[in-house]
Amino acid sequence: MRSLIAILLTLCAAPFLVPRCAAQDLRVPASILAGTDLTIPTNGSGKATFYLSGPGVSRKIDVNLGEQIPLPGADLKTAGRYLAILCASTCESASFYVTAAKAASITFLVHPSRVPVSLGDAVSGVAFPFDQFHNLVLAPLAIDFHLTAGNSSVLSRSVTTHDGVAWFRAASGKSAGTLQVVASAGDVSVRRAVQQVASDPCNLRITGKPDKSGVLAETEPIHDCTGNVVPDGTIVTFTATDKNGKDTVDAPVKQGVARAQMAASGPVTISAASGVVLGNDIRVEAHP
Amino acid sequence: MSRSFLGVRFLSRIVLERLAAVTLFLILAQSVRAADTAVQVQMDTKGAGPRQVEALTEHGIIRDYRFAWTSMGQALSVNALDPIEGPFVGDAKQWLRETVLGQQRSGLSQKYLNQTHHLEVVFYAPEGDVIELHDTAEYQLQLLAAGKIIHDEHVVMHYVVLMTPGADRWVVRHLQAVPQFSAVPQF
Repeated sequence: MRSLIAILLTLCAAPFLVPRCAAQDLRVPASILAGTDLTIPTNGSGKATFYLSGPGVSRKIDVNLGEQIPLPGADLKTAGRYLAILCASTCESASFYVTAAKAASITFLVHPSRVPVSLGDAVSGVAFPFDQFHNLVLAPLAIDFHLTAGNSSVLSRSVTTHDGVAWFRAASGKSAGTLQVVASAGDVSVRRAVQQVASDPCNLRITGKPDKSGVLAETEPIHDCTGNVVPDGTIVTFTATDKNGKDTVDAPVKQGVARAQMAASGPVTISAASGVVLGNDIRVEAHP
Repeated sequence: MSRSFLGVRFLSRIVLERLAAVTLFLILAQSVRAADTAVQVQMDTKGAGPRQVEALTEHGIIRDYRFAWTSMGQALSVNALDPIEGPFVGDAKQWLRETVLGQQRSGLSQKYLNQTHHLEVVFYAPEGDVIELHDTAEYQLQLLAAGKIIHDEHVVMHYVVLMTPGADRWVVRHLQAVPQFSAVPQF
């Protein structure tokens, strides 16, 4: 009987006499914001090894059970899933998520860099908000898109991000020049520029006069259909037809006008074309 | 006679060494191929927008995403940086690099076994220069300290992925694990 009581007493006292080396109940929050310090409490006594494994971090720390394990925010800056593992005689683990902090920058993709005026759905922009640690901000966030050409507003629209992305598509403006495209969220703003250029020529008109080697033909200032001067380098094709046959010259536009010196003799008919636009025909009496 | 015998022995040794090298190469090549095919990737493009995903693009993304996870598994398993050089860029490459370097210091390594990935396209940019995917991944995750398994877990993970077209392939620019995806469809 005495021995039975002694055994029972020993069993009851055992938890208090034997050092508890096993890690128990590793408690972590379900999620924290990126860059936030975290403290993980431990139970028991004795030595143990703590491991932290997550995106961008892998740590091994010797700890004393019963004390808290401090994890600096610098180790918890990349959003994702982290594993906290405490190993003494056995290993206990717990996982938690680090989520993106507030938006600190916007990645803004705008297309194209050069666009003809008055073209439908010609300009598009895609915005991704990121926090200061380059984590994609997935919480809905209002992104304001502003498109301005000169002093006039082409588009002003607020789009709420979904899955960390907001986008727009818009027609280009009516006048050539720089189109400013801005995406902003709170105090974060990013700017892009799109060069709007004149569209295809409209109403091509030419004049011609005889000179010492034939005919000098030139266009009047060439505009697109909204009145913008077509960009330098636009090709105008002049064709001169006389009794000897045809002569063709491709001339680039310089400061809105294209000129061509063409060899011809006698009565000559001159025409011009640029892209899909045909100009007027003129008749000139050449004196070579 | 003795010189001839030595010559034969020398030649035999060269042949044996070359055979061993070829065998080792074939075994390694087979293991890499096996690892690559072990990563199962499916893709659902129904939710893609505003741009539609063409069949060739779909096949390219599946191929390159599979390769990216195979490479990531190798990098984190043997703590080498080389495997992540091609398939990852930007933030994804940066944190993978930091993870590998951290594991080299801590003596940890990770294994991603029996991977299956179900990709869902949630956004494909109008100009096709970026695609956002939701990856519901399932795999056996093992964490090893000095070669000893200290954590072994079957996980179902949710990743938000941004991929962009590179010179000859799609590359992973952003890879972020989340507790769950948002439930509201975008388009």
